[in-house]
Amino acid sequence: MSESTPTPAFKASHASRMVTLSLHAFTQLVRMKVFYFLAVFAVIVIGSNFFDMAQHQGPESVGANVLRNIKSWSLGAMALFAVVISIVATALLLPRDIEDRTLYTVLAKPVPRIDYLVGRLMGVLLLVFVSLAVMDLLMVAALHLRTGMVMEMQEKMAVGRGWPEEAIQSLKQETLASGVNWQLQAAVLAIFLKVAVMAAICLSVSTFSTSTLFTTVVSFLIFFIGHFQADALDFYLKGVEAGTSTFSQYLALGFSLFIPNFQLFNVVDGLVQNQPITLLMVGKLVMMACYYVLLYTLLAWWIFSDKEV
Amino acid sequence: MSSLRKIIVLLLVLLAFGALRLKFERQMLTEFRDAGLMREQNHLESRDRIDQTSSAVALGGLRTLVATFLNLRAHGYFERQAWNELQDTYETIVNLAPQTRYYWETGSWHMAYNAASYYLHESSRPPLRRKELWRSSILQGRYFLERGIGNNPRDWSLHASLGHMLRDPNKLPAMRDRDAALMAAHEAYDRSVELGCFSPMLNQRLSLYCLARVRGRESEALALARTLHEDPRHHKPTLLILLYVLEFDADPDQDAGALALRIFGDAKTAYEALAHHWRGNREGYPMDGVAQGLARMEGLLGIPPLQSILGQKLAPGFNPDDWFK
Repeated sequence: MSESTPTPAFKASHASRMVTLSLHAFTQLVRMKVFYFLAVFAVIVIGSNFFDMAQHQGPESVGANVLRNIKSWSLGAMALFAVVISIVATALLLPRDIEDRTLYTVLAKPVPRIDYLVGRLMGVLLLVFVSLAVMDLLMVAALHLRTGMVMEMQEKMAVGRGWPEEAIQSLKQETLASGVNWQLQAAVLAIFLKVAVMAAICLSVSTFSTSTLFTTVVSFLIFFIGHFQADALDFYLKGVEAGTSTFSQYLALGFSLFIPNFQLFNVVDGLVQNQPITLLMVGKLVMMACYYVLLYTLLAWWIFSDKEV
Repeated sequence: MSSLRKIIVLLLVLLAFGALRLKFERQMLTEFRDAGLMREQNHLESRDRIDQTSSAVALGGLRTLVATFLNLRAHGYFERQAWNELQDTYETIVNLAPQTRYYWETGSWHMAYNAASYYLHESSRPPLRRKELWRSSILQGRYFLERGIGNNPRDWSLHASLGHMLRDPNKLPAMRDRDAALMAAHEAYDRSVELGCFSPMLNQRLSLYCLARVRGRESEALALARTLHEDPRHHKPTLLILLYVLEFDADPDQDAGALALRIFGDAKTAYEALAHHWRGNREGYPMDGVAQGLARMEGLLGIPPLQSILGQKLAPGFNPDDWFK
């Protein structure tokens, strides 16, 4: 061959690079066998079916406790698993990429560092999303089955007690409302949003951290401290009226400004107790989560931009 | 850029972005709290009561999860009849999950029914002490349920549960003011109907049954009984009896026999209903005209005076002093 055909220069877009990197991160994390925890989750969901308490009233109380148990235990387990997975997986990413030299290979190519960071973050979020989706499916299936069983038991008892048809229908409506509903999906979304913010924070910590352990510990600390942010702000605002010392007030204000407010995403409790949430509220939560994720990702990029690797 | 400058810029950015979000976040928190989706941070009280691990879990937005575990613990206390621990645990549970009807109802049920029954039959304590514990358990159960209503004013079931508790003849002697308790039960049933309970007709009748026992409210009760009586679906024995006694109370000079026949339709039905009411007077329903009505029905049915129900000794009314002898 005398003539060589010039290889067309492949110019990947930011998005395609990020997608490639995120899929790589996802595969890397899946290979660490993280999905084994789903077996534990399944046990929790099944277990929550067996803790029905003595009921003290009429048909309306039959199984009411067990439906709440399924929701409460499942969403609780989802939140805990998701937070742990997101922090540990994010904290592992950079050190692991350095250890197996993937980072050098990636950055040696014309890959902007922001693409690398966002791609890795997206990989973790994809992992969390898939995990939450599977857990959500398990919860919905268990809840759906159990709601049907509870309704059957309630109807039998109501008919036995001579309840009129309209009362039985109202009872069924109320039990259905305690079963599978879109509010539960809002709760799962709130967990995902909280975890996404946490992953972004963890990513920015990992850009200047010296070890995985340090990143993990600091991230968990921020996670717990973030739940006091609203308290600090209350202290600052009420302190002005109560005459608290200026130093304490500014300390509380500084705390409120630096630390993200994780309380905002704690709508799960209200949703488990069948409190309604509007689409607008969900939209605001999404917006706030995007704000945090964007801020911490940009900070991570800024720290990582001139870091020598 | 030097490390120091970098840290300073980082802090400034965080401060600026923090200031930007603060107002919006505060509005969101207020909106979510108003919608009942979240509440003020756990009270110090509940933080003290639960262990560190549970406290951390509750802080992480999983208060209902901690509440479900505490509910399991409370069930253990119930089985061991450890009433003080049970009450403490339910205080914590409702602090963590104040919008869950089940916890308010179960907590009050344990206090007002289970603990009260336990003290009623327990023999290791002196009678006066048992009586005081019995009374305070019932009052605690009532107070607990009323707090539940305060937290969930639109929950019909809590109102109905309060009505059930306050109209219970076994609980009434524990109340300081019997009439006030019955009036509260009447109002609770009415509220449960307004809020859309499952069985509005039943609760309307229960509301009447309470009002009819309140001294000095007979005319109100009669008006309600007449209204309910207009709907044939309400024609249950207790309602017919109460309509009879309230009508008689309003006009004691009227012919009891004619009134009984008008309300019950025939002498046999009237006799059975009035006799049942006569025997069941422990519940404290008014008895106006029942003796006269029975005498007339016995005459119509040809029941010999020796077999008259009016000659039978009536069961004594509820008196807690007898229970603790």
